[in-house]
Amino acid sequence: MDHFPTNWGRPRNDAIDLYGTYPIHSRPGPTTDAFSDGVQRTQQPIVTGTSVLAIKYKDGIMMAADTLASYGSLARFKSIQRLHSVGEHTVIGASGDLSDYQYIQSLLDEVMIEEFSAADGHSLSPDEIHEFLSRVMYSRRSQMNPLWNSILVGGFKNGKRFLAYVDLLGTTYSASTLATGYGSYIAQPLLRKAVEGNEDTLTEEQARSILTQSLRVLFYRDARSLNKYQIATINAQGTHISDPVTLDTEWSFAEGIRGYGSQTK
Amino acid sequence: MSIMQLNGGSVVAMVGKDCVGIATDMRLGNQALGISSEFQRVFPLTDRIYYGLPGLATDVATLRERFRYRVNMYTIKEEREIEPETFAHLVSSTLYEHRFGPYFVEPVIAGLSKTPSGGLKPFIAATDLIGCLNFAKDFVVAGTASEKLFGVAEGLWEPDLEPEDLFETISQTLMNAVDRDAYSGWGCTVHILTKDQVITRTLKARMD
Amino acid sequence: MPDMVNLSAHSQQHPQQRQFNPYTENGGTILAIAGADFSVIAGDTRQSEGYSIQTRYAPKVFRLTDRAVLAVNGFAADGNMFVKKVRQRLEWYRHAHAKDMPLRAIARLIQTMLYSRRFFPFYVYNILAGIEEDGSGAVYSFDPVGSYEREACRAAGAGQSLVQPFLDNQIYFKNQKAAHGTSHPAHLPLNTVLSLVIDSFTSATERHIEVGDGLEIYVVLSKGRPMHGLEGLRGMEEVTTTNDGERVFVIRRDLKKD
Repeated sequence: MDHFPTNWGRPRNDAIDLYGTYPIHSRPGPTTDAFSDGVQRTQQPIVTGTSVLAIKYKDGIMMAADTLASYGSLARFKSIQRLHSVGEHTVIGASGDLSDYQYIQSLLDEVMIEEFSAADGHSLSPDEIHEFLSRVMYSRRSQMNPLWNSILVGGFKNGKRFLAYVDLLGTTYSASTLATGYGSYIAQPLLRKAVEGNEDTLTEEQARSILTQSLRVLFYRDARSLNKYQIATINAQGTHISDPVTLDTEWSFAEGIRGYGSQTK
Repeated sequence: MSIMQLNGGSVVAMVGKDCVGIATDMRLGNQALGISSEFQRVFPLTDRIYYGLPGLATDVATLRERFRYRVNMYTIKEEREIEPETFAHLVSSTLYEHRFGPYFVEPVIAGLSKTPSGGLKPFIAATDLIGCLNFAKDFVVAGTASEKLFGVAEGLWEPDLEPEDLFETISQTLMNAVDRDAYSGWGCTVHILTKDQVITRTLKARMD
Repeated sequence: MPDMVNLSAHSQQHPQQRQFNPYTENGGTILAIAGADFSVIAGDTRQSEGYSIQTRYAPKVFRLTDRAVLAVNGFAADGNMFVKKVRQRLEWYRHAHAKDMPLRAIARLIQTMLYSRRFFPFYVYNILAGIEEDGSGAVYSFDPVGSYEREACRAAGAGQSLVQPFLDNQIYFKNQKAAHGTSHPAHLPLNTVLSLVIDSFTSATERHIEVGDGLEIYVVLSKGRPMHGLEGLRGMEEVTTTNDGERVFVIRRDLKKD
């Protein structure tokens, strides 16, 4: 569907066919050398995680993600941890390709060991970890070989909250509420309404209920999500990632729905 | 290249205090090649209604005749002149009849409509190529320079402009917008409709 | 039908692969105007992708030195990386020459840095504003591959086509004739320029979905120039680092968030 009314009724542009609805004549691809078949660069995500949500609250940052790893439309692994703490002050959460995410975790582990070995009394702060991640992501996109993820970085160090985003293009930004994937369309409006302007007053309890409610809405509408999730808190006490929790959901309304699937009467 | 940009050209209309203005450039082109600097795309319909048809030149000619025909039929049947609002809906329905094979024009209408008390009220409207009406209270724009027109008009227009001030505002808006548009320009015409006269002026504009 | 058979055989040989697109467009608008002994450079603070607002505060205008401010617009990741690289080169220059690089030299540096990526460009429109060595206000504008020019005013980004013709009219007095025996001023006073900048962004915010949220205006004043008109301005903050040179100020304002 073309959402620009001024394009409606105009002759179609056969050079751009967003949804591949028309057999388009394709030119022969770029010429390559003898080894090109052996090199795999551009990829697509295979085993994927869906939305990650994060908000600022009174004492720090709270982040949430479900535990599903999808293989296309198949719910392949139902107990995968997508929140990961990096050092004392930081938690990262990722959506997108989970093998790329595990590679990123190993990169971070390596960096943390290196920093620990320096024994200089300095530990990496959340913004430094975000900077590192954004450099890795940007450099991989520049090699046309991206790490297919959207990552949230949440942290608390020296009394300061930190919350930022980085994705496969190296795009970065920061805000008091962040969400990746479908969460950016479905949960972000809910999070903004609940959090913006209340960052310094929201209690841990309130923050948790905002995130849980958003995860519930996502579970109702995002077909690649799961009703099992984890919540991470990052505050003066350090980082904490909860055990998996199950969402209580209400499906009785489904009885009343008619006209879909096998139920046509 | 879209058919909407084939011949180029832009129109803007603005509301003033007891007056309205409608202005257009005079270029007719074939893509980047200029063909004519005397092309008319704003026409009088009655003493109190002017309308502009930026878009595909062949459709400009066709629609001008269709509107003339339909408005004549209206005048004969109703035994009165058509009001601007009515004409706007006539334009809209004429275009929507061709929803899936449209005329490639985005009409702009400017007029003075009669109020129940016998006064005159400024009226402007614009539609897209399938007749979606936009009744704006301030100004409407259309054509290849529409984005530029929006920018300048948003900066220059103010409420309750007297006819001469409206003339200056609409002229400056049009000229500065079309000077940044490769497909519009080559002269400008401005019409200011007031209760007792229509002021029509051709502007000295850049011709490059 | 034989054609159809050929087509499908051909497509089996080369499976249709979606190529990774390393670019995106993050919206926003930037704008700069040069005065006789000052320059003003501004940008909105919204960062978006498609119809989603990513954040309401992501700066696009960056102080490089006390006499140079750079605004970047286009693909945000490239923009941030480009600013980072320019700053690194300016630091190296400072270490080698014990002074800040002059504005016109920064402009040429930016052109070579952009052109060095001619075949994998930084998808960024740059505008550089500041004070030249002769004390005059200057604006340099660039395309993504390094073509550049010194001008008195320039708008770029999502709102360029809304703002630039307005500036032609109000800064260059295009299509305006001066009254008999008078002439148009070559440079406008600071308060007029600031009003025009704010009006430009309010207009662009009104009519463009990718423009809004916040406005950051940097003002660079020539050495020894009086502040007149600037002191006590709402939302103003001085960000100068040295004592006896040019001075840099930033003015932060809200724009509509819808």
